[in-house]
Amino acid sequence: MVDPGVADPGAGHTPAPTGQGFGRVLVAIYGIFALAATSRSAVQLATEFDKAPLAYLLSAFAAIVYIVATVSLARKGATSRRLATVAISIELVGVLIVGAASELFPSIFQHPTVWTGFGSGYLFVPLVLPFVGLWWLRHTR
Amino acid sequence: MTGTYATVITVVALLFAGWTLICAAMNRRPTLLLFAAAVLLEALLLGFAVGGIVQMAGSDRHFARAEFVGYLLGCLAIPPLAFYWARGERSRSGTLVIALAFLITPVMVLRVQQVWAGSVG
Repeated sequence: MVDPGVADPGAGHTPAPTGQGFGRVLVAIYGIFALAATSRSAVQLATEFDKAPLAYLLSAFAAIVYIVATVSLARKGATSRRLATVAISIELVGVLIVGAASELFPSIFQHPTVWTGFGSGYLFVPLVLPFVGLWWLRHTR
Repeated sequence: MTGTYATVITVVALLFAGWTLICAAMNRRPTLLLFAAAVLLEALLLGFAVGGIVQMAGSDRHFARAEFVGYLLGCLAIPPLAFYWARGERSRSGTLVIALAFLITPVMVLRVQQVWAGSVG
């Protein structure tokens, strides 16, 4: 999709869709994390919110970030691309900050989120995923 | 939850995942045979969901029932979603998406069993 709002160095250059080829697999992985984080946070918020409000609000926040990243990567167009860049950047900052905070202040993070311990509960995929996502956005530009 | 049935699903899903990954390595796009495999797995998952809900209804134990049903329905949603998302892909990536669906199924089945056992987290 050509975005009229952005000055394009190569005239008539159309960025490749982010949801095809390797992007199919990437969107599927993001979708799995959207599903995992959403189901986890839905139950946490519904049943045990009082136990660890910070951890469970973080879970819900992570879930929203993954949902936005999944949908915007799957869709075509410059707006989706920009939205995906923002979401994945937030994801990167989130996993780094929450990962570091959970190592430094373990007492606050006794109730796990998807980003606790840099995603160690999910084979560190949450740590690797934003790097791959940002690389893919650059690669398809 | 009965362990044997869940184990069967896990083994079948992992076998399908291995086969699908080999297909992807051979640069194949999803085939009709792969689709048939997913339908078979979906049938097994349907039995798992119905059996699970029936067992839940007959149990007085306290555990996270909403989450239990949610995960059972989540299991059922995965194969159709994978084929929906893989359609129209002209590379091996479509096959890899199906492989991911097969790989994630044992994890979901494990979560169902964890919720049933009461270790919610």
